[in-house]
Amino acid sequence: MSERDIDKMIDELVEREISRRQLFRFGAAGAMSMGAASFLAACGGGSSLGGGTHEQTKVVQKSALGTELNFSNWPLYIDVAHGKHPTLEKFQKKFGVHVNYTEEINDNTEFFGKIRQQLANGTSGGRDIIVMTDWMAGKMIKLGYIEKLNKQFLPNVQKNLIPALQHIDFDPNRDYSVPWQSGQTGLIVRTDKAPDVKSVNDIFNPKYKGKVTMLTEMRDTVGLTMLGMGKDPTTGSVSDMLAAIDKVDKYVKNGQIRRFTGNDYLKDLPHGDTWVCYGWSGDAVQLESDNKNIKFIHPEEGFMLWTDNMLIPVGAPHPYTAEVFMNWIYQPEVEAPIEDYVNYVPPVAGTKAALLKIDPSVAKNPLIFPTANVLAKGHAFKQLSPTDEDKVNNAFQKVIGA
Amino acid sequence: MAFVRRHRGILPLALLLPGLAWLIIFFALPLYYQGKISLETGSIFNGFHFNWHFRTYTDAWSAYHTQFLRSFWFAGLSTLLSLLIGYPLAYAIAFRGGKWRNALLLAVILPFFVTYLVRTLAWETILDDSSPLVSFLQTIHVISPHGRVLATTGSVVAGITYNFLPFMILPLYASLERIDDRLLEAGADLYGNRRSVFRKVTLPLSMPGVVAGVLLTFIPAAGDFVNATLLGSPNQTMIGNVIQSRYLELNDYPTAAALSFTLMAIILVMVAIWAKVAGTEALMGTEAKT
Repeated sequence: MSERDIDKMIDELVEREISRRQLFRFGAAGAMSMGAASFLAACGGGSSLGGGTHEQTKVVQKSALGTELNFSNWPLYIDVAHGKHPTLEKFQKKFGVHVNYTEEINDNTEFFGKIRQQLANGTSGGRDIIVMTDWMAGKMIKLGYIEKLNKQFLPNVQKNLIPALQHIDFDPNRDYSVPWQSGQTGLIVRTDKAPDVKSVNDIFNPKYKGKVTMLTEMRDTVGLTMLGMGKDPTTGSVSDMLAAIDKVDKYVKNGQIRRFTGNDYLKDLPHGDTWVCYGWSGDAVQLESDNKNIKFIHPEEGFMLWTDNMLIPVGAPHPYTAEVFMNWIYQPEVEAPIEDYVNYVPPVAGTKAALLKIDPSVAKNPLIFPTANVLAKGHAFKQLSPTDEDKVNNAFQKVIGA
Repeated sequence: MAFVRRHRGILPLALLLPGLAWLIIFFALPLYYQGKISLETGSIFNGFHFNWHFRTYTDAWSAYHTQFLRSFWFAGLSTLLSLLIGYPLAYAIAFRGGKWRNALLLAVILPFFVTYLVRTLAWETILDDSSPLVSFLQTIHVISPHGRVLATTGSVVAGITYNFLPFMILPLYASLERIDDRLLEAGADLYGNRRSVFRKVTLPLSMPGVVAGVLLTFIPAAGDFVNATLLGSPNQTMIGNVIQSRYLELNDYPTAAALSFTLMAIILVMVAIWAKVAGTEALMGTEAKT
């Protein structure tokens, strides 16, 4: 087993154009222990959660590491302290790799439009890791824009990725993608203005006319509306989706829906412009702690579940470094401080235990660590073929007024 | 030097070169590519192919003429409002400003030191449903007791007016300030009262400023999408929003390009008509009279 791993790794390294001599000089010892570590990981030999950490660090091929890593992510999606990112600083201290962290992703499609041309030409514009939501990750993988991962460099991911996310439809064996954070889309309400909201359909109550917003993310808005109509967004047909869009359109025209937002509702809810809206769980955690009258509600019909994934785009200058980073993140004690800040749902098993030690109140929040009962009512949005995607997206964009 | 002396005709052409290159690189080439894209069909998955597909234009027009008309309506209204607000202001600064002239002009320009986006976001806060301004408007019955300002046509037009007002004021000021005082005196000597001197002398002489101000306000206003996004609802969408979503959300480049071209063509025609009717006539007329 460890023999085979070493062979595989040597092949990989050769593929990466690292000369054998270089490997000999720096790598041989490391390669040995790498085999041992993945053996331990694969056989579940690591003692406690994150027990493989120690071996893993020794294993990293310092010679193959780049001096920097270019990481493109969404805004407010990693821990911040004093204008810096402690997690990234820790990574730099440990591996000597400086992470150029760019918060340049605001929207899946918009970002796709921005880098598509480069990816089609086989370059990533210098990016090593990008973070995309499930459906867009699937689209990019299908287009051949994403590098395949070398799983032997990702033992922590193999070990600590929560079972629910191990096999997903767009990437059944996680050959290309590593989850960054998951989240829930449901209703966020001002309980003082709209006290008895329980169902998705309460958003259409005429009492709240003009005080209601939905999301510009098609899958969230259409998915939740479908749930309210008794349709399952995971298995529903395109005509079900179009019916949901028609319903939304009717309420745009009659003035019920004030507008469609990204997370602008962060401002609209406290100001009282919005009383009921579709929104994301991570934002709700922050809103709830600032304002007692704001609450995230899992609608009785169910809610939407999604995951944002780390991907290595084709032509990334430091793919190996990116894998080392992904692997390093997949330790509960590394993930916990990130979680403490971003408040979404962590994909790393054992994060709750690690977070209990540093911030018990956050660790006990059911929005961050939902119970199995709650999660059972979560729905993922169906993977659409390009034609269906065009059809549904076109209809949706027309309704949201563009 | 000898070369230039021998080919005297070349010098002006050579001096034109930088400007010409600028026009070609930043105007003609993008226009050419845009035009080419607008006649392609395809998708981001299968690639785009050029095939003289003119139907994109008619399809885009029939799908989005509402947003076109709305854009021109909003832009026209904002331009008119800017003129009504800007003219007295520019007049006051030019003729009554005295030693405060420069300070007042600076006050007009000062908002420009802050980003467009931030200024518009500020209005989003000023006009939100629980703001003092809105409750005041409710008590004096300008809006209904449960009415709102944000996410209405009013807030979008107000936002556009606010954002482009300086483009109106500055050219107006420039032409008013240049008016020779002696002409006004002459008007008064010839038994003109204040009103008729303004009507017969000041106003015609300031027409170049009006023409320029209207153009500078109307053109960017018609293509604006920020105000509609931040201060409007889906019922206030302008053509700029549609173009943005076609490009960035749907990656439907041909339709986006066709819409941009249509917008450009309509504005060009409007500007030509405006220059013919208001512009040159007024300009020439006053030149001849003075």
